[in-house]
Order: sequence, then C-alpha cells, then structure tokens
Amino acid sequence: MSSSAPIDWTPMIVGFTAGFLSRLISLKSGRTHYPGYPSGYISQLALAVIAAMIGSSILTSLLGKEFTAATFLTLAATQFRDVRNTERKTLEQEEQLILVSRGAGYIEGIAITYEARNYLAMLVALLGSALTLIGGLVVGIIGSVIVLAIAEIFMSGKHVGDLIDVQPAKISFDKGTLLYAGDVMMMEVGLPHSRERYEKEGLAVVLTPKNERGQAVLWNASQRQAITYEAASAVGAQKDIGYPEQSPLCRMEMPAGTGKAGLSILPVDHNMSKLIQAIKNTPVLESDKWSKMTSPVINRKEM
Amino acid sequence: MADAPTPVMFAIVTTKREAVSGGMAPIFIAEDDQERERIAMWLSRITNAIVHDLHNGTLILTVNQS
Repeated sequence: MSSSAPIDWTPMIVGFTAGFLSRLISLKSGRTHYPGYPSGYISQLALAVIAAMIGSSILTSLLGKEFTAATFLTLAATQFRDVRNTERKTLEQEEQLILVSRGAGYIEGIAITYEARNYLAMLVALLGSALTLIGGLVVGIIGSVIVLAIAEIFMSGKHVGDLIDVQPAKISFDKGTLLYAGDVMMMEVGLPHSRERYEKEGLAVVLTPKNERGQAVLWNASQRQAITYEAASAVGAQKDIGYPEQSPLCRMEMPAGTGKAGLSILPVDHNMSKLIQAIKNTPVLESDKWSKMTSPVINRKEM
Repeated sequence: MADAPTPVMFAIVTTKREAVSGGMAPIFIAEDDQERERIAMWLSRITNAIVHDLHNGTLILTVNQS
C-alpha cells in the first residue's frame, strides 16, 4: 500500500533525537562502573537507537494507516524484555571473577535500570513525536526538552549520601583480635600479620542513618554489599585469593542494634575523602522497599 | 541468602592439645604461639580459609561455603 500524502519526517526526527538523548544522558550519569568498555557502550547505543526509532515512528505509521508497521513496532518493543536478562547474566558471570562482589541486590538493580532506561527512551521519543505532530517543530523541541528534564528528575534514584551520614572512624582492635571501625565490631582477625596491616594502613567509616528510611536502607545486607563494592572500586582493596581477612566489610553495630553501620577496608589509595564520596554516591537499591512497620525504631535504647 | 556467608569449620591449630577434641576438622598441634601463627597463616594462604582466635591457645580456620 502506498500512501498518497507525502510523509512528514519532522515528528520522527524530533522524537528520535529526544529518545536517543534521554538514553545517552543516563548512560553518562551511570555510576555503576558498568558498562566499562567501549564495546559495552556500543551495544547500549545500538539498543538506544532501536528504542528511539520505535518510539518516534509509531505515531507516523499509525497516521499513515500502516497498521502492519505499527504492529511490528510494538512487537519489536517487547524484545527489550531480554535486556534485563542479558545484563544480569553478564554481571553474574563477572561476579565470580572479581574479588569484592557487587551482591545480588545491586546486580538486579542495575539490570532493572538498564531495561527501564530503554523503555524510557521509547516513551520520550513517543511524546516528542506526538508534541511535534500537534504543535509543530518549535513546540515539539521545547516540549521534548521539558519531557527529557522531567524524565531525568524522576528516574534518577536516591543516593546513600541523601539518607545516611558518613563519618571517618578509627580502626582499633579490642581483646587483641576483634577489629572495630569506630564503635562497630567488624570481625575477628586471627593473624597478627593482618592485624598489623589493618592498624597501619586500614581505613574505617561509620555510617549513621539520618532518618528511618536511611536505617531501613542500612539493614539491607545487599545494600551494604553494594556500598562495600563502591568503596573498594574507589580506593582499591588490598586483597587477593588466599587473603580473606583483608576483604572490605560493612557490618551493622551488633548486638546493640543501634542502626549504625561500620565499614573497614584496606585501601590501595589511602584517601579518606575519596572513600566517603564513593559511599555517598552509591545508589540506593530498589530491592530495599521501605515500610515503616518493618523498619527498626530509630531511637532504640541500647540493651 | 547470597550475601550472607556460611562458614564451615576447616581446621584447628592449637598449642593446648587438651582444649580440643573430636569433630570434623583436622587438629594441628603447635609447639608454641609463633609456630601456631605460622601454621595458621600457611593454611589460610593455601586454602583461602579465615583464621579466628579463640583466645584459649586455639585458632580455628573456617571457609565460607558458597
């Protein structure tokens, strides 16, 4: 079937640009150390092109009464469900190769985000093309910028620094072998050699929740693993296979259960401000859904 | 849960033979504290086990089961 009216390309171009830009912005602002390589970026960009293409061309094809094309576009959109699986698989494979792991919660968070970003690019493209169709080029461009800004604001999740206060603390050993980060007991280090290492080169911080939400975030073990991973990737960790007691750790203050957490690390780069900044920039995981009922009371008295 | 390790007793290094008995882990008896630390360190580096001090002359080595 050939459409008699000439095709108006403007909505498609505006929508495509808006959708592609929305994906580009989020790729750049990702703080997950992933994708780390140009090849990873290329595959993400290719997906972004497809997503923006689908979003921007669907209205034009519907207006041109090309219902077959429109149906195929919605079919193509469902292919993006696989993005989450692909990302998760890649990261899980990588988990066995790295010494400080991301943790299952963090991986799931990254995978969901990647999937959602593609759908977001599609939506932005659709809205951009719709606005151009209704109001013309100028309205389309201005509207697209507004849609982009709104999408960015709503899609950028909270960071640990928004909910939790991070303060430097001292590394010390109690009873000879119990490693403490500030007041928080971390672990039992049995080897004198490793204890010396910690006393000389170790760094520690104490994480204090600012509110109930922050406390709920800290009680999530996956979240603490994500914090540990970010800390280790910022300042490095002196660790190899065969040195398990030199792993960076993030633990709650137990058995007092005050809601505070400690983090101990043997860094390569002895830089406290870098460490604190990395912890503050760790994204809050989606998996710790907050409910007031299950959140421990913030002002709990010490037992 | 994936993020919580499950430690399994792997070996026991002690200077006090009478403080330990039986169990699933092999017991290494050391002459003195220095010897004990050395054995523990070597076992730890070879097997990726974590050393814990029980403060009664005994060190235990645990490995995290995944």
